[in-house]
Amino acid sequence: MSDIDLHATATGLQPTGAGQVSLVDLLDRLLGTGVVLSGEVLISLAGVDLVEIRLNALLTSVRADMARHEGAAP
Amino acid sequence: MSATARYMFAVARDLDVAQLSGARGFQGAALETVEHEGLAAVVCDVDLAEFGEEPLIRNLEDLDWVEHVARTHNDVVWRVAAVSTCAPLRLVTVCADDESVRDKVDSLRSGLEGVLDRIEGRQEWSVKVLVAPRSGGEPSPDTPATSGADYLRRKREASDRRRDLSVDAMRIAREVHDLAHAHAVASRRLAPQDPRLTGRPEAMVLNGAYLVEADARDAFEAAVHAAGEQHPAVTVEVEGPWPAYSFAVLE
Repeated sequence: MSDIDLHATATGLQPTGAGQVSLVDLLDRLLGTGVVLSGEVLISLAGVDLVEIRLNALLTSVRADMARHEGAAP
Repeated sequence: MSATARYMFAVARDLDVAQLSGARGFQGAALETVEHEGLAAVVCDVDLAEFGEEPLIRNLEDLDWVEHVARTHNDVVWRVAAVSTCAPLRLVTVCADDESVRDKVDSLRSGLEGVLDRIEGRQEWSVKVLVAPRSGGEPSPDTPATSGADYLRRKREASDRRRDLSVDAMRIAREVHDLAHAHAVASRRLAPQDPRLTGRPEAMVLNGAYLVEADARDAFEAAVHAAGEQHPAVTVEVEGPWPAYSFAVLE
């Protein structure tokens, strides 16, 4: 069972280690949340559809951002 | 020199930047903050050869890459959450430059303020309920069926037992969830994880996330452990505290 204390990280202890969050738990949270937009791709782990990520939206926003940036460059 | 962009990990309130000194993001890049109207976006430089649009299409298919990015992202969010109130951003939020980072903060601002208000002084806990497969039992193979009808009857009974077990497990999951929710300020039921992903034979019937006041953690943990002891037919697991990922959803 995990016994990580958030305060431990402030004093230099790494959050990874004995109580490391499993990758599945992490991706549940890191990909399952966030700004919801259209378009999706499945990342699969061991052939199992893991979580939907909004890759198209992600790419669209990166693309728009870069285009604007390049347009502004001298 | 290759082109770089800014990777955003989180947006924080009341962040003392000095407390991040020495912290690193990807490829050893220093963590920096982009201040904007009272909020601080925590960022680091990333190489566009890795985080640009085309490479991302490839890299997001590569689970080792995704794991590395997820763990680095998580390590930074932990570090920031330890010293501030912070809303983690979704994995791979990449902006061209600091001006874009500020634009992003602006575009998220109304949601961000609500998220930060909601999670301040609180932490996320995970509660899972798992049930062993087929613990309702098949007919003993030591006593062979005496007829086709007997065989079918036994099969139907075994199926009924499994269904009862599953109904029971669902009911227990609901009870544990309600109890955990009663000790939390908010909760979410995430999709149960597939046994092939957890690597465990048990079926997950509850994958709950709970937002708990930092000073209520002992009561929360005690209540969930007590629920586990009341229901020996299932395994109840509590993990945390984690940064409030599941409650920082911006829509």
